[in-house]
Amino acid sequence: MGFERFIKGATEIGKAMGVTLKYLRQKPITVQYPTEPVPVYPRFRGKHELRRYENGMERCIGCMLCEAACPTGAIYVDAAENDPQNPTSPGERYARTYEINLLRCVFCGDCEEACPTEAIVLGHDFAMANFNRRDFILTKPELLNPGEPNVVIRPE
Amino acid sequence: MTDLVTLKIDGHEVSVPKGTLVLDAAAKLGIEIPIFCSHPKLDPVACCRMCLVEMSGPRGASLQPACAVPVAEGMEVNTQNENVRSTQEMMLGFILVNHPLDCPICDKGGECPLQDQTMRFGPGISQLVEPKRHKNKEHLISDTIVLDQERCVVCWRCIRYLQEWEDKPQLALFERGGETLIDIQHGQPVDAKTGGNIIDICPVGALTNRVARFNFRPWQIERTPSIDPHYSTGDNIRIDTRTHQIRRIVGRENMQVNDQWIADKTRFAYEWVNSDQRLQHPLVRKDGELVPASWSYALQYVVDRLKEISRKNGADAIGGIGSTKLSNESNYLFQRLMRQFIGTNNVDHRNGGDVAALATGLPALADIMKPQYGPNPKVDTIFLVGFDPSEELPILDIHLKRAVLRGGAKLIIAHPRQIELTRYKGPHLAYKPGSEVTMLNVLTKLAMSAGEKNDAELSKLLTGATQQALKDVCDVAVDEAKRAAELLAQSENALIIYGPMAADGPNGPQVINALTNLAMITGHYERLAYIGLDANSQGCRDMGVLPTKLPGHAELDDAEARARLEQLWGCTLPTEPGKTYKQMLDAAGGAIKALYVMGADPASERPDWAANLDKLDLLIVQDLFLTETAQLADVVLPALSWAESNGTFTNCERRVQRAPKALTNPHTKAAADWMILDHLASRLGANWPYADEKGVLHEITEAVPIYRGLTWEALGDQGLQWDAAQVRPTAEYRQAVQPEATASAEYPFALVTGTVSYDGGNMFALTKQMHNIAYGPIVGISPADADRLSVADATPVTVSSPYGALQVQVKISEQVKPGTVWIPESLPQSPVGALLNGSSAEYVKIEA
Ligand code: SF4
Ligand code: SF4
Ligand code: SF4
Ligand code: FES
Repeated sequence: MGFERFIKGATEIGKAMGVTLKYLRQKPITVQYPTEPVPVYPRFRGKHELRRYENGMERCIGCMLCEAACPTGAIYVDAAENDPQNPTSPGERYARTYEINLLRCVFCGDCEEACPTEAIVLGHDFAMANFNRRDFILTKPELLNPGEPNVVIRPE
Repeated sequence: MTDLVTLKIDGHEVSVPKGTLVLDAAAKLGIEIPIFCSHPKLDPVACCRMCLVEMSGPRGASLQPACAVPVAEGMEVNTQNENVRSTQEMMLGFILVNHPLDCPICDKGGECPLQDQTMRFGPGISQLVEPKRHKNKEHLISDTIVLDQERCVVCWRCIRYLQEWEDKPQLALFERGGETLIDIQHGQPVDAKTGGNIIDICPVGALTNRVARFNFRPWQIERTPSIDPHYSTGDNIRIDTRTHQIRRIVGRENMQVNDQWIADKTRFAYEWVNSDQRLQHPLVRKDGELVPASWSYALQYVVDRLKEISRKNGADAIGGIGSTKLSNESNYLFQRLMRQFIGTNNVDHRNGGDVAALATGLPALADIMKPQYGPNPKVDTIFLVGFDPSEELPILDIHLKRAVLRGGAKLIIAHPRQIELTRYKGPHLAYKPGSEVTMLNVLTKLAMSAGEKNDAELSKLLTGATQQALKDVCDVAVDEAKRAAELLAQSENALIIYGPMAADGPNGPQVINALTNLAMITGHYERLAYIGLDANSQGCRDMGVLPTKLPGHAELDDAEARARLEQLWGCTLPTEPGKTYKQMLDAAGGAIKALYVMGADPASERPDWAANLDKLDLLIVQDLFLTETAQLADVVLPALSWAESNGTFTNCERRVQRAPKALTNPHTKAAADWMILDHLASRLGANWPYADEKGVLHEITEAVPIYRGLTWEALGDQGLQWDAAQVRPTAEYRQAVQPEATASAEYPFALVTGTVSYDGGNMFALTKQMHNIAYGPIVGISPADADRLSVADATPVTVSSPYGALQVQVKISEQVKPGTVWIPESLPQSPVGALLNGSSAEYVKIEA
């Protein structure tokens, strides 16, 4: 009985060591964050960005549908009429105020889903620590000019 | 009893009165038929074909519009079968072929019948690949209404509203077929004063509100049922708010008051509430400058100074001015403070004690209303004296038009101007301002003979009233007066309404006497009504903000009322009658040393009053803005608007209505009127027992017998009327004497004043979208006089009277009668008060 158990134990250990030995020969998959960049999946949902058209106009038309779709009430939009001479976005309407409260956001992507112009998208930036609660409220300047434009258009 | 017709809809039997439309019969069974053009307040046109259902008829079953076909005995209607369903899908398809589907940027999105019906009855798929047609997307049909012709489904509701209610066909259809579009006629913008209602009834987002544009989404706003702060009809509104701002105002149905319509000023002019010019904190004058101060400092300052002045000069050296724009609660507490703590009856409001008013108001607005499927109006004749509803109360104006056009009522108009309502060809007595008494006396005499009523007592009082006098003194054609007298004598239910212009100043009591005689002899005394113009003109009087009346219209020496109030307030009331508004302001700086002005701006009315106010020892102003009066003040107390605090307002038919708090402004230190007064009272040594405005109203129900039982809860959303019989003066014939006022060679023109909707007041002027339609500093002159003086439109002229002069611009107007000139009150930079001395009748001259 004892011998059988010994053999079985040895095989198990051998197997486990086999795994270790196998991975010993591979390159490590851990990343030296933050000195090394972390790759993210294309559909990763990070910090929000507001996109523009090629001609520089804002895509957002201030329709407030993202606000309505948001399950946590993290988005606040106020719309206004475009100045026909100097429009902010195509059409008559644009977002005068656009705010996202990152402390409330659960990164579900529902706003992205609701947006009729693909203006709001969740980008790849996930490093969102801050020293001040106020700074968690993103406003138009921050949303329109993300640090690293890294935009994924959702697959339709 | 109306005959009942029984029919079957989807297999269910239903009995409805003859003449009912199939649509309404189905609604009675809870069956919904989709509609676009049909509207419960408009005549059917059946132009959109959305409501097609299958009806059995003599020629078998066929598709017919449910909104236009009346029920018939034994009819069988099918609203659900395959045929109907596919028709509905097709009709929606046809509408959507040309519809831009702007929903994300469309103000209607979320409350759009087209969206809803597409979801419920639509095909659910899109079949269109071709490009859509294109039309004007941002087409201004007035300064406040934007038309998007692409979104229009050509239902004609807007056209029909303007035609059927305003009697102003200002919109029309152009082009044909798929190209059909709605537009204004001859480039003339829609200028109906209630035109904004077409925004509410447009079934799509084709007509949108330029002031509220893009400011709201139906799903994010909070809706508060409230009432209009501008007009004394007390139109019911809904205030939509978001993030402490008013985002939009829409009409609310009240079939006793405004049907569902509201005036444009009500709908669009609300920018003042959110204005950054609003006062944010108390101001106290230090070294000649108004500087911010804390509430406790400002209030203590007010109390100390009031006590000091009262000690030195007596209580009657202090006066208080309340406001017809503020709630019953504010006004009630204001007069209580003045009477209880200052100990004076010097408390009044603009158009208060100076105007000879009747306490009873209109019998009921519903008496002149003609709802779409309602009965005809109760009154058959309406006599307007010195009152122009088209300018002064637009909702009453559409009721009157409707009563005339659909209810067969007759209109008689006595007004120095040829006001808009004279177009219904009723008798128009274009009297000279100041000659009201003669005109009414002659009319009484004519009515006596027309009605073959002889009253020796009355005849004796009317000796001077000859037809010759009518011509000489009033410049009124005898024929017109005869027509008017006949109508009044024949009428069974005439309503006689007079406005503040007719009863202002020393003329006032005489005008009332003359009107009383006329109303009594023609049998309409119970329907003789004074109409104030501001939101709470009636309530301000009910609350006793009058120098000679206690709350509830009680005389100062009414022992019962005094005992009641003294017991309730725990004080003795002053007995001496106080000074009226004009008397206080004339005496300011003289006998009056201190004034407490709540929500009024007398300095803007007359330059000499502004000078007087400057001479006061103490001027306290409680207001929303740094008005001209506030700029002269020693202490300015910032108050909250009608939307930011609870309050009740009493409309012109004595209906007490709630205006609940709709928003909070978290950034301001301003406080509600009642709270300011309550704090002052506690510093003056009292402990008033109010927890909130509702508590104040509760006390009013005890202090004012006519308000018994009208608590906040009891009033509900539609308000309650108090009973006029309790305060109606007993009818007796009285002598009415025509006061003297004649033209001289030097001052040839009779001055006509009056109120206009679009004036220079803060409550209007701060809405920038409406600037173009506002009145500037103008003087209206008849074309004949303009010719004679050789002046043209916009010529700058000087209008002067013995009391002052005004720089204004000529506006040639057909409405003005030769020999008169018209300068409305409260125009920007041109206070007509500068020309007046005590009454509204004056003679002036014009120099280019
Ligand atoms: S981001 Fe998109 S959904 Fe949100 S308001 Fe702008 S356009 Fe509308
Ligand atoms: S009218 Fe209705 S369906 Fe048309 S764009 Fe506006 S919300 Fe959409
Ligand atoms: S603008 Fe509106 S109300 Fe007027 S016809 Fe078009 S859809 Fe109807
Ligand atoms: S609703 Fe009946 S035809 Fe338009």
